[in-house]
Amino acid sequence: MRGTLRLLGMGSVIAYRALFNWTTPPVFIGSLLVGPLFQLIFFAYVGRQLSVGDDRFYIVGNAVLAAAWTCVFGGTMAIGNERRFGTLGHVLLSPRSRTLIFLGRATPYALNGLFVAAVILALGAGLLGLHIPASAIPLLALCLAAGAVASAFFGLTLGALGLRFRDIWVISNVTSALMVLLTGVNVPLDQLPPVLRAIGTVLPITHSAAAARDAAGGAPIAAVAPDLLIEAGIALAYAALAAVLLRIFEAESRRRASLDTL
Amino acid sequence: MLVLGMLFHMKHVSRSPFDLAVFVVVPVVQATLAVYLFRASAEPQKLLQAAVGAGMMGVWSSVLFGAGGAIQSQRWQGTLEMLMLAPRRPVMIFLPITLAQGAIGSYALLATLVWARVLYGIRLDFARPWAFLVTAPVTVLSLGAFGILLASLFVLLRHANALQNALEYPVWLLSGMLLPISSLPAWTGPLAAVLPTTWGARAMREATAGGAVWPSLAWCAGISAICLALGALSLVHVERRARAAATLALA
Repeated sequence: MRGTLRLLGMGSVIAYRALFNWTTPPVFIGSLLVGPLFQLIFFAYVGRQLSVGDDRFYIVGNAVLAAAWTCVFGGTMAIGNERRFGTLGHVLLSPRSRTLIFLGRATPYALNGLFVAAVILALGAGLLGLHIPASAIPLLALCLAAGAVASAFFGLTLGALGLRFRDIWVISNVTSALMVLLTGVNVPLDQLPPVLRAIGTVLPITHSAAAARDAAGGAPIAAVAPDLLIEAGIALAYAALAAVLLRIFEAESRRRASLDTL
Repeated sequence: MLVLGMLFHMKHVSRSPFDLAVFVVVPVVQATLAVYLFRASAEPQKLLQAAVGAGMMGVWSSVLFGAGGAIQSQRWQGTLEMLMLAPRRPVMIFLPITLAQGAIGSYALLATLVWARVLYGIRLDFARPWAFLVTAPVTVLSLGAFGILLASLFVLLRHANALQNALEYPVWLLSGMLLPISSLPAWTGPLAAVLPTTWGARAMREATAGGAVWPSLAWCAGISAICLALGALSLVHVERRARAAATLALA
């Protein structure tokens, strides 16, 4: 048990540091904080001008989206980059469970996403004048965390696809663009046609964004619990899907000797 | 040389699954987003303007990430030294690349209009259709020329990627591509006025909804020409500095 926890904890931290070994504070701030903050401001002004949603709708929604963005790209790279950098073979040679190794990597990305969302939300609310009562912050943090965890497992699922497909950046970029449209963060879900709405309901952050908006408005935990539970279920579903895909693609890569094929 | 260089770079980009997927899919997603936002608003009659605005957003993204990263891309591909060894001015080497990125971005404009017409039945009733046909390519090429300045600035900055990621939304907002600039705080006016994207977006909007297209288009082309001149000077400086410090190939 202790070994498993060590594998999950230490392995995740080391992998996270390896992923960000290329980065510096300016890159982190520019890519993960400034870009999403401008995105939040852009959509907040769109909402104001078009009267589609109020400031809370856009500020909270885009803060959750910022976390998702971080987690989806991070999770995708956590697996896909092993192949890209030629280290996948070493990981797969490990006598420990690769499923645990990879799923454990969700934790640092989720924590990173939570941090990003908190900063973006604080800055966005401060700049645009959204008041969030202090009593709402714990529940709001829980909603952000739920979205970040679900997004991290979703990112790992996409990363698993990176074991099979050549260009993981295509997958993550296109998916991230679709999340802007389909998760109800910027266009209210009831304005989307049924097919798009149905896709949105199984994507991460759709329910956590709704819960976070309610929480930011002072709603009690009982009111946001249904959305939070659905988001937790989505997180578990993506974790299971990632684990299955990882096993399938690992076996496939061994069978076809295509581990390092780019 | 410009035309051949443009064609070559466009072919080069067409071999990249990443570029193709992003340039094909993302503008369509943005167009869909704009359509649903405007449908949900009290201004559904502006759907055509929204589609044109979403197309302009795609053009800017292409210029920002393609033209802005032109030098960095060549560096990563190991071809920067070869290009710098060519007996031409640096601007003549990189201008075809940035123009090609602008031209590739015009796909976004075309795709959003086709998408809006076919899927959402938005009638393409341009107030000044002939002016639109002139405005679109001039704006796209102007932004391509603006890309030279971005390319030269970005090569001076070690972490240009972070700046690229941060610049997409502010320019969409400041240029009034989806919303009127009047909806922004007054202090943003001077910033918007010096961006060629602002005047290009205005010219496109005036061609779509009516208005004095040519002055806006002239401002767009004029500011882009200044950016091109500044970019050319900056590229010479960059080249000399990189040669002197032996840092040309350093990523």
